[in-house]
Amino acid sequence: MKRLRQLFQRRRLYDDLDEEIAFHLEQRIEELVAAGRSEKEASAAARREFGNVGLVKETAREAWGWRWLEDLVGDVQYGLRALQKNSGFTAAAVLAIALGVGINVGIFSVLNGFALRLLPVPRAAQIVSLSEVLHGHFSRNVHGEGGLFSYPEFLDYREHNHVFSGLIAYDPFVEAALAGPKMQQLLGVLTSCNYFDVLNEHPTEGRGFVDSDCAAPGGNPAVVISDDLWRRTFSADPSLVGKMVILNQISYTVIGIAPPRFTGTDVVPTSFWAPITMQGALDPGPGGDRLADDNLSWLAMLGRVQPGLSLKQVRADLSVIAGRIDQRYPGRITSLAISKATLFGRPAERETLVPIASVVLLAFGLVLLIACANVSNLLLARASVRHKEIALRLSIGASRWRLVRQLLTESLLLSLIGGALGSLLAFWSFASVTRFVTSRLPHEFSPLSLSVDVTPDIRVLAYALTLTLFTGIAFGLIPALKSSRLDLNTALKGDGADPDSGKKSGRFLRNALVGGQIAVCMVLLLAAGLLLRGLHYAQTVDPGFDMKNVAVGFFNLNRQGYDENRATVFVRNLRERVAGLPGVIEVAEAECAPLAHDFSADTFAVPGRTDKFAIEYNHVSPEYFSVVGIPIVRGRGFTQADARDDAAPIIVTESTARRLWPGQDPLGKSLYEGSGRQDAVVGVAKNAQVSHLGDANGSYLYFAAGPRDNLRTHVLVRFAGGYAATAKGIRDAVQSLDPNMPVDVIRLEDYLEVWRTPSRIASALSGALGVLALLLASIGVYGTVSYTVSQSVREIGIRMALGAGRTEVMNLVLRQALRPVLIGGLVGVAGCAAVSSVLSSMLFGLSVHDPIAFVSVPLFLLVVALAATYFPARRAMRVDPMVALRYE
Amino acid sequence: MKKPEQRDLFPGALEMMILRTLKQQPMHGYALAQHIKRTSNDLLQIEEGSLYPALQRLLKEELVRAEWEISSTNRRVRTYRLTAKGGKHLEEEVSRFERMLEGITRVLALGES
Repeated sequence: MKRLRQLFQRRRLYDDLDEEIAFHLEQRIEELVAAGRSEKEASAAARREFGNVGLVKETAREAWGWRWLEDLVGDVQYGLRALQKNSGFTAAAVLAIALGVGINVGIFSVLNGFALRLLPVPRAAQIVSLSEVLHGHFSRNVHGEGGLFSYPEFLDYREHNHVFSGLIAYDPFVEAALAGPKMQQLLGVLTSCNYFDVLNEHPTEGRGFVDSDCAAPGGNPAVVISDDLWRRTFSADPSLVGKMVILNQISYTVIGIAPPRFTGTDVVPTSFWAPITMQGALDPGPGGDRLADDNLSWLAMLGRVQPGLSLKQVRADLSVIAGRIDQRYPGRITSLAISKATLFGRPAERETLVPIASVVLLAFGLVLLIACANVSNLLLARASVRHKEIALRLSIGASRWRLVRQLLTESLLLSLIGGALGSLLAFWSFASVTRFVTSRLPHEFSPLSLSVDVTPDIRVLAYALTLTLFTGIAFGLIPALKSSRLDLNTALKGDGADPDSGKKSGRFLRNALVGGQIAVCMVLLLAAGLLLRGLHYAQTVDPGFDMKNVAVGFFNLNRQGYDENRATVFVRNLRERVAGLPGVIEVAEAECAPLAHDFSADTFAVPGRTDKFAIEYNHVSPEYFSVVGIPIVRGRGFTQADARDDAAPIIVTESTARRLWPGQDPLGKSLYEGSGRQDAVVGVAKNAQVSHLGDANGSYLYFAAGPRDNLRTHVLVRFAGGYAATAKGIRDAVQSLDPNMPVDVIRLEDYLEVWRTPSRIASALSGALGVLALLLASIGVYGTVSYTVSQSVREIGIRMALGAGRTEVMNLVLRQALRPVLIGGLVGVAGCAAVSSVLSSMLFGLSVHDPIAFVSVPLFLLVVALAATYFPARRAMRVDPMVALRYE
Repeated sequence: MKKPEQRDLFPGALEMMILRTLKQQPMHGYALAQHIKRTSNDLLQIEEGSLYPALQRLLKEELVRAEWEISSTNRRVRTYRLTAKGGKHLEEEVSRFERMLEGITRVLALGES
């Protein structure tokens, strides 16, 4: 406090000092004059005895330790004045920085909203997310993702921990069909009944769950629905609480409506919450009663830590319980991962996010790098105008470090102004950009905009500030170091021209910066080009089967309470009715629709071979092959008689046949399933990309669909008439058979869209970044060439006076300007080869060395660079030798 | 940054002399300079100016305090006084200086005994 007071009183302290030194000198002079010396002599003697007055004052002031602060204030004032004086330069630099920093802050705020922001619940910092990693020899069943817990494990942790005030377990993604006039598929959560209490998110209408709701399995069909569902589907009916809704054929009482902003604890918003004890009724799947299974991963856990405990203490306490659980499974070792809970925080989710996020951040970072190089170049050019001023300051005794500090202060001021402007723009625009992008995605992704909050928080602000400071130093350091190293003699005598313009080092630095910009720009543009080519390929690819004019309906009859017999009757009736619709050619059934992101796989053994083969398979009806247009090339297709439980007839693809029985006739060969059942090959189908788009040679085989497959089936309809009429016909047929059956009919082609979406987003993103980078880089090239031309006006004048033609001058300028562009371009192409191999592993249809992209993008860049060079170069050509030689 | 201290004074010597002088009586800067010069018989070649940075350091450490007063010749002078803290500091410095001097004297006397 005292230091602070002194700081504000320092003006007085300094005045006191000045006054007393003045008094000292006067007193001495008076004494000397009294002793008989002349006024002049006395004054000189007094000063001699005293020493250097200015230095004494400076040293005395330094005693207070504010020198750095005063220097800083001075530098800032000086810097602001300098920036104000060169408003054109300042505007250009600020704009480049604002662009670079702004888009980076924006994309970070989106990532932050997805993955770093804590859950949107009160006192979210106390909530931790738990997951487990199992090591050693064990076998475990997984429903959902690994790392989740079983119900008995949850009970163990809940009963025996000493660190949580509450522990929640929930199944994050439960699909359910809501019956009624607005029938729809919902995504909800099965949860332990302390959910709303532990999260401290109490329903706005009605109540949350209480312990008795979870007392007995199947005992209490109660449900809390989300505010969004309430408004969208029930028109915010205030009397809904207490009424019944039907989910997967069972009636549930609506007991509460969640708060408006609460969308659950995962990135995909939750529409309803039901007690975990309703699992058997709500989500009857394979495995039956999951509550009793001690060795099944299906529950995510969230705990609220008691105040004052560290994560370390939590980990220690829970590890003891994990150790006890391991004793039930000899050979298994559990390690727990405990972290602050976020929307996208479970390890399985992180694994998908981290590589994508790093590539995205890197790409955005590259644009910032180009902006930095641009501003650096501007600063270098400006330093040549200021070198006289700098030389003057050096010659009157300023240290080089002092000057560097002052120049850096100016750069930091620039970057702070640009960074603040860019961040503000980002905060303002990215919320709407995100909403726009998520609303344009296929409907699987669109609810994301509800849960992702991109408003800036402390983390985003810290990122923006760090980025801004880094930017200021990145573009300011080299120009500052360079311009403070001057040969005073020539600089002070100078004629206004950059003393370095002729020197190799100065030109090299500027060219290196231009080359760097071009290289980075080339990487971004090439990536965009490759992605666009990939997208084009995805849109024109021939998957090996005919996806046009096929409608698909999916039916999960098991979930609707059907047994095998009822399901068989339903499907048979449905097929008959649909087949009778006008314009329908043929109807087929399949367990998995082609390219629907629906995979089944097993390991198969070939008699006489020791290695096992993981092969994807499908259960299909006999008509499948003609409906989707996959020819049987050898043997036969399926018949109705093929659906048998004993030795099953199978049809393999050509590439599977080659892989399993190279050089042999596959017909009649047998294959053992993982369960031990023996299959016999009856036919060979042509290869088709039915499972993974772009993978034509993967192994694949078909079983004949039997009655069991009717419980969960896709009905594929080949039609000759219009799609809308066919889809309506299918819906009507379903309605007439079972009015409560949810039905969703889509075109088979629509599945392709899901495959294309990542490529589409990625190419749009990198295209936009590439254009931005190109803009910045061409400004950079233009600026550098203009500068070089203006600096070499005299040289050009001399050449022209000596008889050089305009074309020769033009060639000279172009040659000089394009050399760094060419070198940078080559470096960029090489860099992109590395990037593209990373991209191709993540996105479908991307060829690593696509010749069209690798030729057209560099050519395009070269044309832009030529244009950016041409205009300033034309100025050089028009130089009048008379004017040029007088040019100062 | 260069310190303008005389090379033949060890660090802290000037401060010690200032404190010792002020212990006798409060003084302004000019008188302080003259007094130290006079008492040391001009043996110590001190630039008078170097007194002021030292005084500022002492002010900052609150070993002395300064007040503007009117002198006998009716001029505004800044008079320095020793604070209680300054007095204690002086004692410690003097005893440390004496121990140091004793040590040096012993080493210098080695060859002569």
